Amino acid sequence: MLTLADLPRRELAARLAGPGLVLRTGPFTNRIRTDVPLLLDGLALLYDDYPVAEPGGFADFSLSLHRAGGLRRWYRPQVHFAQEGVAPFKPLPLDQAFAMFEWVMNWCVTHRAHSYLIIHAAVLERHGRALILPAPPGSGKSTLCAALVTRGWRLLSDEMTLVRLEDGALLPVPRPVSLKNGSIDVIRDFAPDAVLGKPVENTTKGTIAHLKPPRDSILRAAEPALPAFIVFPRYEAGAATSLAPLPKARAFMQVAENAFNYQVLGAAGFTALGRLIDTSSQYEFHYSRLDEAMALFERLAAQPA
Amino acid sequence: MWRVVPGQSLAFREWDGEAVLYNDLSGGTHLLDGGAVEVLQALRPAPANAVALATALAGRFDCAADELPAVIEDMLAGLAGLDLVEPFPC
Repeated sequence: MLTLADLPRRELAARLAGPGLVLRTGPFTNRIRTDVPLLLDGLALLYDDYPVAEPGGFADFSLSLHRAGGLRRWYRPQVHFAQEGVAPFKPLPLDQAFAMFEWVMNWCVTHRAHSYLIIHAAVLERHGRALILPAPPGSGKSTLCAALVTRGWRLLSDEMTLVRLEDGALLPVPRPVSLKNGSIDVIRDFAPDAVLGKPVENTTKGTIAHLKPPRDSILRAAEPALPAFIVFPRYEAGAATSLAPLPKARAFMQVAENAFNYQVLGAAGFTALGRLIDTSSQYEFHYSRLDEAMALFERLAAQPA
Repeated sequence: MWRVVPGQSLAFREWDGEAVLYNDLSGGTHLLDGGAVEVLQALRPAPANAVALATALAGRFDCAADELPAVIEDMLAGLAGLDLVEPFPC
């Protein structure tokens, strides 16, 4: 299938400015329109391995990110997001266009894709076993996720775990890993060869930079994974690495609290989450050293099922 | 007398003495101990009072038989607060 890298830059710009770039991310098709050069640069750098379809045809989500007109074209320029003509968010400074793109790509899925239980969690796979990292704020989830993908884990998602309601399989939506503030340099030091997008400063979450997903993760985006571990991480400066089992009923409640649409799904969500807890082991994880965390997760993935 | 609130299907999952239960009326999920689930299941077929439930569940709780009705009455009051059970006029 055609990938974004196959499109000459002029063609990419023409699609973005005209009928839309139709980009495949896991099970979703996105039609993207923009006139923001910074966003074009970000797509070309971080999405070059992604499949693209011909313009036209069905898309799950239609996203438009355009420069504000009038005075705002020159004075503190801004970018507006609209989905199918509706603008649900206030505009952001133009230099935050790529960060806005990533947020609204997540938003489209978490607010619409209710044929899945969607957990706010990173999810990765190694040796056929998926590791889910739910994300209370400050947990260090994205740092761990980025470090794991640089050590050979397959990225399913940095931000949302999609649990298929029919069978409990985890569906990949591999997209760039969002790193914030100090985590950016941590990953630069940990994996000097990793490709990071241009840092976006002064966002509501501080400085953000996105890590390019491994090509293999994009190529295997249609390949579901089976849940094996749910690990609630907590980064604490100076903490010893520790992994402690979590009682299943309590893990159920914690995962439900970290789900985007558990309440929306009602009894179907309860059933799906019960099966997820049945088919995985749950732990609390404290860490401060990434290398120790990597070794521990490798042991976990390699142990007999 | 107490009964299960009409409309509650009492869907639950239990692991290692703790349970989660789906509340059909609120859409919420409750973390309960296994004993509370036993009381709910015993109450499911028909309304009952705490004494009758204590008789039905004798030996299932780690407390003296003569204290069990009061323990179950407390549990029922807690479950009523979650709209899972309600008083049933005799």
